[in-house]
Amino acid sequence: MDCVKLQRSLTLPNDVNTVPELNEFIDIVCEELGVDMATVMSMNLAIEEAVVNVMSYAYEEGTQGDVCIEAIADDKQLQFIISDNGKPFDPTAKEEVDTTLSAEERPIGGLGIHLIRQIMDSVSYERKDNKNILILNKSLINN
Amino acid sequence: MVIDIQEQNGGMLALLDGRLDTPAAIKAQQDMAPLMENADKEITLDCSKLEYISSSGLRLFLALRKETAAKGGKVIIKNINDEIRKVFMMTGFFNLFTIL
Repeated sequence: MDCVKLQRSLTLPNDVNTVPELNEFIDIVCEELGVDMATVMSMNLAIEEAVVNVMSYAYEEGTQGDVCIEAIADDKQLQFIISDNGKPFDPTAKEEVDTTLSAEERPIGGLGIHLIRQIMDSVSYERKDNKNILILNKSLINN
Repeated sequence: MVIDIQEQNGGMLALLDGRLDTPAAIKAQQDMAPLMENADKEITLDCSKLEYISSSGLRLFLALRKETAAKGGKVIIKNINDEIRKVFMMTGFFNLFTIL
């Protein structure tokens, strides 16, 4: 990252009902950066998918845990770091869905990580200090 | 998220209004039960007021599409906005539905 222009974070419990708070956070980040509406929506979608994944799978059912979302941006790119203290879970290890299959053949899951990969420019995962850390980058330079 | 369902010309018409994010999709699953029960008919989803959809919402659409495929019905999706159209392209959903 060059000179950091924006840095904000949000911590949510593992409860999908808090997703509207996440959407609000993403809207604020995007507004501060002055990105276009199409990017606002795609960032909302990619980050919602990543965070809901953590809320749904990182912690055992019935146990409470947090997910932390950090947004950092410079002039060139917007980066989201999504971390949790749950069990090791690498969403990037998931097999790519086959989007050419018919409705009958299409499995019902796997769309979340597929959308994240489609929207973001890079996605990487690391396990560090008992944390799952997912790093998502989006270039802010128009193609 | 509000889903208004009506009978129309022997089929079903559903008007989707709002954001179909993860929590909304959990609730919408129950709201869409009458559509699943009528999966032998033509079901039109009018998305002119649908602002946003995440994978949880897409899964509901796919489940309905699978049910109609099994029972002989059809799903028609109308008036999706440009951003949701992009999401349909990214996921290959464009080829799964009749999109008007």
